[in-house]
Amino acid sequence: MLLAIWVFYAVYFSPTQGWTFFLQLTVDGIILGSIYALIALGYSMVYGILKLLNFAHGDVAMIGAFIGFGVLTLLGGPLSPAIPVVALVACMFVVAMLGSGFLGLAIERFAYRPLRDAPRIAPLISALGVAFFLENSVLLLFGANYRNYDGYDLISYNGIHLGGSAGVFVSYLGVMVITGALLLMVGLVALVRWTRFGKAMRAVSFDREAAAMMGIDPDRVIATTFFVGSALGGAAGVMFGLVYSQIYYLVGFLAGLKGFTAAVVGGIGSIPGAMLGGLLVGLVESWAKGYLNGNVADLVVFGILIGVMLIRPQGLLGTPALQKV
Amino acid sequence: MKKVMVAAVFAVALAILAANALGSAKAPARASASSLATASVTCGKLRTIGMAAPITGPASDIGNQQVRWAKFFVKRWNASKANRNQKIKLVTGDTQLGVDTAFAVKVAQSFKSNSKLLAVVGPAGSQEVVASTTAYKAGGLGFVSGSASRTSLTDGHTDGNRRGYFYRTVPSDAAQGPTVANYMTKTLKWKRVYIIDDQETYSQGLADGVQKILNAKGVTTKRDSISQKDSDFSAAIAKIPSNYQGIYIPWQLAPQAQAFGQQLQAAGKGHIKLFGSDGLFAPGVWKIAGSYDSAFPYNPTDPVVKAYVKAHGGNGEFFGLPSYVAAQVDTLAVTKACKAGHGKTTRAAVRKQIAKTNIATTILGFRVGFKSSGEMKLPAAYGIYQIQKNGSFKRIG
Repeated sequence: MLLAIWVFYAVYFSPTQGWTFFLQLTVDGIILGSIYALIALGYSMVYGILKLLNFAHGDVAMIGAFIGFGVLTLLGGPLSPAIPVVALVACMFVVAMLGSGFLGLAIERFAYRPLRDAPRIAPLISALGVAFFLENSVLLLFGANYRNYDGYDLISYNGIHLGGSAGVFVSYLGVMVITGALLLMVGLVALVRWTRFGKAMRAVSFDREAAAMMGIDPDRVIATTFFVGSALGGAAGVMFGLVYSQIYYLVGFLAGLKGFTAAVVGGIGSIPGAMLGGLLVGLVESWAKGYLNGNVADLVVFGILIGVMLIRPQGLLGTPALQKV
Repeated sequence: MKKVMVAAVFAVALAILAANALGSAKAPARASASSLATASVTCGKLRTIGMAAPITGPASDIGNQQVRWAKFFVKRWNASKANRNQKIKLVTGDTQLGVDTAFAVKVAQSFKSNSKLLAVVGPAGSQEVVASTTAYKAGGLGFVSGSASRTSLTDGHTDGNRRGYFYRTVPSDAAQGPTVANYMTKTLKWKRVYIIDDQETYSQGLADGVQKILNAKGVTTKRDSISQKDSDFSAAIAKIPSNYQGIYIPWQLAPQAQAFGQQLQAAGKGHIKLFGSDGLFAPGVWKIAGSYDSAFPYNPTDPVVKAYVKAHGGNGEFFGLPSYVAAQVDTLAVTKACKAGHGKTTRAAVRKQIAKTNIATTILGFRVGFKSSGEMKLPAAYGIYQIQKNGSFKRIG
């Protein structure tokens, strides 16, 4: 389907603007989609194991972005870093991921666990409450001012020209984001498929009570899932700050909404689906902004969400829920 | 037992909230719009004026410049022995320009409800002026903006009628657009200009005006728009042809212009120069060296301007300068109204005095008085600045 959309755009629009333009938008869309995919993974993992829509996840990513910015500032800022840039960027990611991970743990422990056996609407409302709590906490602590990562000043304005100087340009920062997101996604797949924790996670996701009877501690597995999903969100927040520079207390809202859309389009609960959905949403947004207008990009993205739901309610790679009769 | 305790705490909290809500709901009912405008206020030795500005949020840099200039006026006014019995207190409200105009409306409502408050400086953004006009009119308050430059604000019909209430100490965009377009064509000799608005009416109005003049002069233009909520400009930048000489960005959020400039450079199009408007006059925040910006007129030789620059470490922060004049207009109007009322006045009387303003010498460099529309009587030219490598803005035209 992805290929079909690609070909459609290429055939219908590229003759007017050229292939380079199309490919440039595609590269930009992949960078944006990589960030959405990381956010989508957090939504999907939590939904997969708890059937809970964690609407606070976008704001966890926002907190990650603020933590990363704090580390950047503490270590000298983008123009005069106190340590080598590679080490600084690594520190930003590690601290932001740990901070967001522990925040995810706290949210699960205090906002969701007490409601685990409550009607499904209760944790949903609790999730919305946590989202507003996080946004307003950041507003109170840091104000509404925009913070600028100056990521290109920190890393480099240079990049790779594909197809000569007039060809497609990918900045080194863009390459770093795509590579970083890919590594984190591969790591997550390895964790879920080939580790004992991954097996326990899949078991709890399949049948929590049966898993408990097999000696698995569901609370521990759920908490760890929150930690991992939130850490990925924190990494996405830092990537967002580095590439798009501006962060503020509401930045997680729209990014979270796009991540959620990506998770649903890909098939919520499915890890490969979240990755595919993220890339798809990023690409569609970039193409829509490029070929149509910035005003209609969100209309197109959310229109696709509605379209996918109508045609394939379980998402592109999701499996339909079994009804026992 | 524990559940009963929790329920009791919730019940008490709800009761307190309900009582507060009822209390605040009753207040406006007691005071109608007309009574707020004509309610007698005892002037005393300390008179209150409000200032609505973006103190936090994406436009906080320019907002704080405005607050500092207005406070600079109040400080000088209060320091004068002649004014020891007619001092001014400046109450600030944070409009968070660029986040949501609802904040500007909240500030206007709180000013309306403050019975001691006699006039207002601000708001900063044209969209904020439009959104909060109803509240200011309902409170009978005159408001003088030092930066809202959208032309239609004073025409009395396009986006609401605020005549007799709204005044501004900046020239409108009808003056800014031609200055920018002329500089692009005559001085910079640009033949191809890309124009991007930020979907706010201030920005669209300026972009339309400049584009129209450029097209009339034979300059090739292309138009696009971004949103004030956007952070990713990659698609917009991909659309800009490399052979264009300039990009006109009449935006309000300096951090956004900075991010755009960085992404433009990272996309290998840093050779295309940016040209901003007064909304981006934020030295140190928008710091893409070589970019151009248009901003308000001022008199650099005025002793007050020199004193401000000296008191602020050599930084003129000239975006806020017209707010000094706005505070001056409000203060003089309040003082005259209090004098005429023998120690008592009303908001309506203060508005009448604002309309009669006639300040012979101002730091803008010319006499300030208002037409009935709220525009200044004397036309004023915008200046053109260029961003230097250290992030400062140097006047070049």
